[in-house]
Amino acid sequence: MRDMARLSGVLALLATTAVPLAAQAAAQGARHTPTAVIVSGPDVGSAAPDFRLPWATRDSIGSVDNDFVLKAHRGKTVVLAFYPADFTSGCTAEMKAFTDRYAELFGDDVVVVGISADSLGSHQRFAATLGVPFKLLSDPDQRVARRYGSKGTTGPKRTVYVIDGAGNVRYRDMRFGALDPKAYDALKLAVQNARRG
Amino acid sequence: MRRAAAMMIGLAAVASTLAAQDEEGIAVGALAPAVTVPDLAGRPVDLSRWLGQRPVLLEFWATWCTSCQAMMPRLAAMKQKFGDAVKFIGVNVTVSETRAGVEAYVREHRVPFQTLYDAEGVAARAYNPPATSYIVIVDRRGRVVYTGAGGTQNLEPALRQVTGR
Repeated sequence: MRDMARLSGVLALLATTAVPLAAQAAAQGARHTPTAVIVSGPDVGSAAPDFRLPWATRDSIGSVDNDFVLKAHRGKTVVLAFYPADFTSGCTAEMKAFTDRYAELFGDDVVVVGISADSLGSHQRFAATLGVPFKLLSDPDQRVARRYGSKGTTGPKRTVYVIDGAGNVRYRDMRFGALDPKAYDALKLAVQNARRG
Repeated sequence: MRRAAAMMIGLAAVASTLAAQDEEGIAVGALAPAVTVPDLAGRPVDLSRWLGQRPVLLEFWATWCTSCQAMMPRLAAMKQKFGDAVKFIGVNVTVSETRAGVEAYVREHRVPFQTLYDAEGVAARAYNPPATSYIVIVDRRGRVVYTGAGGTQNLEPALRQVTGR
């Protein structure tokens, strides 16, 4: 019975946060260590959690008083692309595809940001190498990645969120296939739908 | 500038192995999915022709991937050594590629494998490669015995294992 209560506590916590189950169980003092890692993050239709992160582009690093703030982009479609690490070949594939097909996938009125745990200097070099035309945000402790169910071990998991102008999640892919052409097609469609309102 | 850019992307050769550990691919010990993927001419190629029949090496690659370029000589050496016993297949991931561009690359570089063009992402979804240069080696029973990514992979132990040499 006591174990059931503990389990309920763990499940209740999972409903409100995106902390891996193993960490939650440890915090609750659970006797059995789960073998699976469960993540959540805002579902489609729910409000996208606001956040603030520093950024770099291929040309510059944002000043300390000019962080990217999600809610400042209300009224526009926003794409959040969490990815494991700069300069890895899967992430190179993803960011190269976003860059090469930017107009087709997104369009000028869409705000696209990539988010990883890398430093701003790394982001600037990575963006300059590939010619990435959007901001890369630095989330070194994966605080934001965790809120979006995207926290990984060494860097975020590869996920994509499309947020509409009202600040609600319209689409998410919690296992974005950087090497799957259909994943890009689905993202393109989701962005088009979000732009239409 | 171009050389500097290539060097930067080339860091992927080292780092991609780490990223591969943090993402999912196909598990060692799993049965390799016998998917059907078209070749460069658009002809469907059913991997069950080889999977479960003989050892197979699959690489998920792209022409722009420097780790893949770094692996080409190593793959060529392995093809020379084990090519009569192992089927070498390169699955082009088609992301940021064109069929014509891949055809030209294959002609020019004489890649050491049969090239498939995964335009529908069938193989990508079945194997979930975390990176280009992702290599999967499968034994003659169709079981995955090796996965890895990056430009410095040592494939010989796994190929010895699956060929018994």
